[in-house]
Amino acid sequence: MRQLLQISDLGKAYPDGDGRISLFEHAAMEVAEGSHVGVYGRRHSGKSTLLRIAAGIERPDGGSVRFEGVELTTASPARLALLLRSRIAYVSVADWRPNSGESVAQHLALSLGGAGLTVGQAERRALRELDAVGVGGSEANSAACRLSLMDRTRVMLARAFAHTPRLVVVDDPVLTSSLNERDHVYAVLRELARERGIALLVASEDLTALQGFDVFVSISSRELCSSEGNATVVPFPAIARLGGSARDALS
Amino acid sequence: MAGSRAKPQQQREWMRGGSASMRGVLLGLVLERPGHGGDLANRMLMRLGETWRVDTNDAYRLLEQLEGEGLIQSRLEPPKSGGRRAMIVYHPTPTTSQALTMWMETLLPREPVRLGLHAKLAVARAEDAQRLLLALRDYEQKCLALAKLVTPNGGPQASWQALFMDCTREAVYTQLRAEIDWAAAARQRIAEHARRYPPR
Repeated sequence: MRQLLQISDLGKAYPDGDGRISLFEHAAMEVAEGSHVGVYGRRHSGKSTLLRIAAGIERPDGGSVRFEGVELTTASPARLALLLRSRIAYVSVADWRPNSGESVAQHLALSLGGAGLTVGQAERRALRELDAVGVGGSEANSAACRLSLMDRTRVMLARAFAHTPRLVVVDDPVLTSSLNERDHVYAVLRELARERGIALLVASEDLTALQGFDVFVSISSRELCSSEGNATVVPFPAIARLGGSARDALS
Repeated sequence: MAGSRAKPQQQREWMRGGSASMRGVLLGLVLERPGHGGDLANRMLMRLGETWRVDTNDAYRLLEQLEGEGLIQSRLEPPKSGGRRAMIVYHPTPTTSQALTMWMETLLPREPVRLGLHAKLAVARAEDAQRLLLALRDYEQKCLALAKLVTPNGGPQASWQALFMDCTREAVYTQLRAEIDWAAAARQRIAEHARRYPPR
């Protein structure tokens, strides 16, 4: 299967007082066309940073991020913005910012406005996409700013898929304590992506939520570990430096 | 050296069966410091923690097996100051270290809870650190691969069968998640220690 996204030798650190906190060192992973990759990691492990880097929203300190052959780390802001409106969709439920007074359908139709559609076409398309994620007619006409957290997630997924991208990147999509609702949203997400041949890169701190994904990747110790084995082939960076003091760590 | 020469098949016998991890830990403890059966059983309990059922009688039995395979050697030693009885004290043989290394390198069963790895961490030597880091990463990867094998939930279903299947999936994922978290945390601790105290 052809690789859609290839991340290699990734390095990323954040300033922390006089020092720096390193999130990734020589990390590597791949997303094949149409495949579903679930990223599992505990809170503050770097999931969101990884996803923003994968979507070209954030630049790493080092390494390469190639999407459909385009090097995202050196691409111009205009190129990245174009990619994010066409080939890559990035969803973070925390970024829900509807205009006051607009309905759910209007909110989605507005985001489709740049796709060369008339207002009527955009609204009809919006209704179809909302229906695909389980948002019916009455909810589609209700005020967008009054949606429940679950419905927000559904609408944001509808918005992401409406652009028919090649890769949908979703940062921890479910803000609910109901396991049934969580499973339902993930099932819709997987099904939509499968039907349309779209690749998924989804991060969650809940491994169970990622059931059914083709590839599991975990973030640990600044590395990415993949169920596919060949995704992380770089040696553990600290091995060569371990010596006599390691015994103290293990006792 | 008699031990390194002969009987490779027999040398591996001690690594078979349900008590293999206990035998490995005993080898590591004897290598660290010779001791009598009770002392070794106590040290094993201290090292492995309360989740392991360490029975002193089991420890004696396992020590005898290890001695039978030439991996440790018992000596009757005079009582220490204040003591009355002579003690049987277990010492390492020239083959002990090599056997421990072989155990560290042994591939472990694929069950999610890999107690063998826990046992190995408990008696690891400095030279085992690299093997353990690789083993932990390998284990993390195997857990991720196992997670892939679980049949996904097909969405909302209102049947009893669907409910208990969901509960079963949850059990498997919860166990795998705990194992992945543990492997990741252990690797992180070792790496952070190495950064803080680089070898001279």
